[in-house]
This record gives sequence, C-alpha cells and structure tokens, in this order.
Amino acid sequence: MFDLFVNGLTNILTDPFALLMAVVGVIIGIVVGALPGLTATMGVALILPMTFGMEPVAGLLLLSGVYFGGVYGGSITAILLKTPGTPAAAATALDGYALAQKGMAGKALGAATLSSSIGGTISIIILMFLSPVLATIALEFSAPETFALAVFGLSIIASISGKSLVKGLIAGLVGLLLATVGLDPILGFPRFTGGSEQLLNGVPFIPIMIGLFAASEAFKSLSDMNVKEKVKVKIEKIVPSWGEFRGIIPTILRSTGLGTFIGIIPGAGADIAAFVAYNETKRFNKDKEPTDKSRMAGVAACESGANACTGGALVPLLTLGIPGDAVTAVMLGALMVQGLQPGPLLFKNNGDLVYTLFIGMIICYVVMCLLGLFTARYFAKVVQIPKEILTPVILVLCIVGSYAINNSFFDVLIMAVAGVIGFFMQKHDFPASPIVLALILGPMAESQFRRALALSSGSYDIFYTRPIPLILLLLSVITLLTPIVKAIWQQRKRAHQ
Amino acid sequence: MKLKSIFSGLAATALIASLVGCGSGNSSAPSGDQAAGEAEAYPKKQIELIVPYAAGGGTDAVARAFADSANKVLPQSIGVVNKTGGGGAVGMSEGAKAKPDGYKLTLVTVEMTTLPPLGLATFKPDDFKPVARLNADPAAITVSADAPWNTIEEFVAYAKENPGKVRIGNSGTGAIWHLAATALEQKIDTKFNHIPFDGANPAVTALLGGHIEAVSVSPAEVAAQVEAGKLKMLAVMADERLPKFKDVPTMKEKGIDLSIGTWRGIAVPKDTPDNVVTVLKDAAKKVTEDKAFTDVLEKMNLGVSYADDAAFSEAVKKDSELFTKLVSDLGLKK
Repeated sequence: MFDLFVNGLTNILTDPFALLMAVVGVIIGIVVGALPGLTATMGVALILPMTFGMEPVAGLLLLSGVYFGGVYGGSITAILLKTPGTPAAAATALDGYALAQKGMAGKALGAATLSSSIGGTISIIILMFLSPVLATIALEFSAPETFALAVFGLSIIASISGKSLVKGLIAGLVGLLLATVGLDPILGFPRFTGGSEQLLNGVPFIPIMIGLFAASEAFKSLSDMNVKEKVKVKIEKIVPSWGEFRGIIPTILRSTGLGTFIGIIPGAGADIAAFVAYNETKRFNKDKEPTDKSRMAGVAACESGANACTGGALVPLLTLGIPGDAVTAVMLGALMVQGLQPGPLLFKNNGDLVYTLFIGMIICYVVMCLLGLFTARYFAKVVQIPKEILTPVILVLCIVGSYAINNSFFDVLIMAVAGVIGFFMQKHDFPASPIVLALILGPMAESQFRRALALSSGSYDIFYTRPIPLILLLLSVITLLTPIVKAIWQQRKRAHQ
Repeated sequence: MKLKSIFSGLAATALIASLVGCGSGNSSAPSGDQAAGEAEAYPKKQIELIVPYAAGGGTDAVARAFADSANKVLPQSIGVVNKTGGGGAVGMSEGAKAKPDGYKLTLVTVEMTTLPPLGLATFKPDDFKPVARLNADPAAITVSADAPWNTIEEFVAYAKENPGKVRIGNSGTGAIWHLAATALEQKIDTKFNHIPFDGANPAVTALLGGHIEAVSVSPAEVAAQVEAGKLKMLAVMADERLPKFKDVPTMKEKGIDLSIGTWRGIAVPKDTPDNVVTVLKDAAKKVTEDKAFTDVLEKMNLGVSYADDAAFSEAVKKDSELFTKLVSDLGLKK
C-alpha cells in the first residue's frame, strides 16, 4: 500500500502535463459549476471527448478537476447572488446568501472554499484506503433502503422551512405533486403531461430551481429598485480566523462522513448530501435564532457534504464498476475509453495508475482551495455592483442557463413561471427549498417504494424487517415530529406558568 | 484606436477560421465542381446530428465517435447536438420532422421501433429513412456467479417449474431489455417477476447485491463483472456468438429462437433525396472501417455492426413488427 502511494506521488510530480490538466480542469469546473444550468455532470460530459487523445492520468485528472470544481463552483453564485449553480448549492444558498447580505460575502466564500476542499480531500483519502470495505455498502442498498433514505431526506423539510413549518410542508407537498408529472417510473405510463412530449421526463428540475431561487430574487430587486440601500457592503477578510475555523471543524468532519456515505449509495448524490449535512448541523445547533456563527456552520456543512460525495461516489465506480450517479456514469465511459475497466480487477491490473490518480485528485482539491481563496476577494466584489446592472445580468444568466440544459426553450418558460411563483412565495414567506428537495427526492421515493414492493411480491414486510430501512424510517419520524413536540411542550410550559 | 484593434482582431480571427475551414474542406474531399448540379453538391454546409440521449452516455459516445471519423471522409463537418427527453422521443421526433435535405441527421436507436407502439412518441418508424446501422448489441441472460444455474437450460427449467419466482431486472418498463425478457418468457411459456430499474446499471447493481435473480441487459453492461467472476452470462439473444464471449452460447443454439437487441444507426427524414442517402451511407461505411471509430466502440464493449440502407431498413421493419406485437400482447400500450 505504502509503496503504491509513494509511486503515485512520484508519478504525478514528474508529469507536468497531468498537473496542468488538473489545474485546467478545476478552473473549467468552477466556471461551469458557478453558471446556473451548467452542472458538474454536463461539464464532465462536454470535456470527455477532449480527453480521448490524452494519456489516461492527464485525461482523467482533467475530468476529475471539472467534476470537483463543478460541485464547488455552484456555491459561489449561490452565496453571492442566491443563484445556485448546481442543485447541491441550493442548500448552500440558504445560509450563504444571508451572510452575503450582511456584508460577510468574503467570509462565506472562504468558509465554503475551505470546507469544500477539506471535505473532498478527506473523502479521497477514505476512497484510497477503505474502498473495498465500503463498496459492500453500495450493494446492501437496494430499493427499500434507498426508499427509506429518500423519506429521511424529505423529513429535512422540517428544518429548512424557516419561520413556519406549515408553509414549509405546503411547499414540500407542492413539490411532491409536481414530481408526479411525467412517465410513471415503474409502468412507464404518462401522467399529467397533457400530451406534451417535453413533460414525459417530468417537470425539468433545474429550470424550476433557477426560477425559484435566482429569477424570483431578481424580480424582488426589480420591485424595490428605488429603495436606496443604506448599508454599503464592505468586503473584509476572506480566510476565516482560527477561532471561526475551529468552530466549524466538527461540522466539516461530520458532514464529510455523511457526504462520503451518501456518495457511496447508488442514486444518491451531492444534492442530497448537502441537504442532509445541513439538516444534521441544524440538529446539533442549540441557538434558537440563526447567528452568523451558525450560518457559517450551515455553509460549511453543505459544502463539505457535497464535495465529500465525490470521493464516495467513486467508491462503487472504481471497485465494482457501477456508477452511482450521472457524473460517475460519464466517468465510467471515460475510464473505459482509456482502456481501464472499472470493477473488481481495476486495482489488481492497474494499481499503479489508480494510486497516481488518487494523488492527482488530492492535488486537484489543493489547487481548488488555493484558487478559491485567491479569487474569492474578486468574486465577492460582485455584491458591490449596483442592482440596476446586476439584476438584468442575473436574469440573462437565468435564461441562458435554463436553455443550456436541454437546448430547449420550453425549459426557459418553466424557469420564468417558477420565477414569478417564487416571487410571490417569497412575499408571503413560503420557503422555496422544500420544493427543490421534494423534486429531487419525490421521484426517488416513489420509484424505490414501488420497486421494493415488486421485489417482495407486494409484501410491506420488506420495509421493517431489514435494519437499514427501519432505522432510517424511524429517524425521519423523529426529525419530522421534533419541532411539533417542541412547540407543544413550550405551550404547556407557558400554560403552567 | 481601441475599436480599431478590436476590428483587426476580429478580422484576423475570421481569416483564420475561414482558412481552417477551407483546409479541412479540401484535404479529404474530391475538389467540388462548381458547375455540377445541385444534386452533387451535398453536403454544402455543416451537418447537424441529433442525439436523443444525454451527453456522456453510450449513444452519445457512438455519435461523437461517428462525427469525428465522418469529418475525415465528408467535405463538411458534423456537429453533435443532444436533444434529450421522453426516453429518446423528443430528439427522434425532432429528427423525423426535420427538413428532408440531409442537414439534420438523427442517431436513431432501437427505441425508434419501441416508443411508437408503446404510444410514447409522435413519430412512426416510417417517418425515417434508415441510412446505415453502426452498432448492435444483443440481450443476454446473466445471473450471479453463485447462482444454482450453470446453463441456460437449467435456468429455463427452474423458471418453468417456479413461475413468477425468478426476479429479472431490466432498464425500465417497455425498454428493450424488458421486451427481451418478455419475449423469452413467452417463448418458454412461463412467468418472470419483471423488476424495472432506472437504467441498466442499477439493475446490475441489484443483481450483484443479491436482490434479484437475473438481468436481461446487454453483455457490455455486465462485462466487467463477468470478467471478474462475480456474474455469469448464460446465453445471448444473438444470431452468432460474440467475439468477446466465445463460450457463451446463443439462444438459437439452445433451441430458443430469439434474436433481440439494441442497435444504433443514422437515419434521415423519409423524403430525403437518394443522392444524399448515398453520400451518407458511403461515409458511414468508411467510418465503421475507421480504426478510431472501432477503437472507441470496442473499449466501451459495444459491437460494431454496419448495415447499409437496404439491410438496415429491413432490420428496422422486422423489429418494428416484433415489438408492435409484443407490446400489444403485453397490453403495454398507453
């Protein structure tokens, strides 16, 4: 093991082209991730053909760089503009944008960069040493387990609802209803599509997200364009102080663990990891009203969780040859075109190369950290741009982004409608993130529920006779009921006094 | 001053672009005769190739490899555009309704013959004129390495004794691997418990985890696991044994007359003139002989299988009839 490690390090350090590709990949990834509509998956897919002519290490590091940078890049626009570049960054926007509005954009970006890089690096180290052991988790997760995970994810709505749990649940249910549009996931019957071919795949999720978050925010600033802002946004330090950083270390470690674990599970990716990590951070946080400190922890949780997913998702890909999500499916193609067959034989046949790749991936994360910290100061200046200029730019980005996903104008219309609805939701204090969460998890919960029943020939026993679904379902009940029980408890206490 | 430099920059860029364009145009094409009729002039501008599936997948890889190789034999380049949605229906509909001038090609797949009978598409297979098939892969019955069945006969015998017991994973209801498993169940007169997954990979994962008994997906999708000894392939639904899996018998050898699989090829709208089809067909033939193209397919475990327009049309017709009947037998039509 150790000599493989040393070999890998020397291989990569004597290969300047591969190092250059790692840097280029990270830069492309950050840009792709930051733009709404362009996801890490799309970035990797678009760069893939360029790697065909390269040496395996250089080509794969270019793709890894785009992948890692893409997952992280989404946080930049989420924090500065409330425009999540990727679905995972929708969770980051919750606390990140609030910090930026208070003039702490730089610190939020710094915390996001550090926690992304640390989470990602640790997950690669876990991948390096524990992947054969962890790969079995991926196989344990069948339909009932994944269903329970999706339900657990949905219970998070309780903690991202903001002021009113009821409004959060309403938004979540609307999201779940929207998620039923499209082909029935098991029988393939079209539902609520109105005969439209575009709706066969369901309501496009990324345009909805862009509309609800970014476009609605742009509409809001259009509506109060004449209100002069009193607070002049000043950019202070980017790198958090040691005290601040020490405060978020436990959050980063916990979220990294969660993120890596969720990444390993087939079908669950960075978006779910970010929301789950966020939820657990809120659970451990005692403060009633959100403080700057707790918001910083929220950003750190989402970012370390999302990036830790990258190492986790590579575990089943490399050791079993099964891609857990869309990005790793593209990576599978990339590996095969390079003549590397991911699967049980990869480590045996190409051990040297695989460890070189691992070291290269860690270098990608180091590069990302440095780039992120150096550029954050300039990115953060975005918040100083006057609204009259910034708002139209955001709207253009929304349109281009939602068009780019499928080259479809239909998606632009969906985005615009979601934007208008999001504007009124904001006015009436309905949170947008439960809709996003429900759109991610609703289809997953439904199809896995029905698949589980198909596997068990219709018996519901399958959900509580297996340990993982039982535990996850109990956890979701606890998560959902906690705020309600708390409320009743406090009412009683007040009544007694 | 500033404006001037921008303009000169633009001019230089345009000049370079036109030079590059001419260079690639002249290098491989026979010098075009200006006086020749409209008919000979195809292609005069860039050709668009619609891929009805997402970038990064198997179909996309075939399309991009095709475009790269075709650029060496055609005087104009081919640009790949992904139009996803509806399990391929969106992209293929657009391709079927395109102007029949040969500038919008579609990378069609077997779903061109399965989506219409399922009632999930606004086009018919007849709306296309098949130009050339590039790739074909059969369905295969694969089970876990520690399963009690070592041959397809043992598997069939067990399935017949225990109808509804064998859980067989596919890549989605109505998808080609589901239809293949259904055709097998009809042929051997038993019942499987069909478990639809969201694509072939999750089905293989479930088989590895011991949650189902078999999968009916293509050899490419189980190759890594079969080579590693975790899964065993019992039979393929092809006319001949596969070069990569010489010791896996075909269904036909075992007396089960089934030949079902997926394929990918190039098609144009049905009113496209014949001279255009000829140019494209010849280009496609050269592409399937180009090492750069065959290398990409081989590495992805995809089978290269060229068929010209006549043979491809025949195969499409046959599949279309087979699947129309299967879908109506199963009552799957929407």
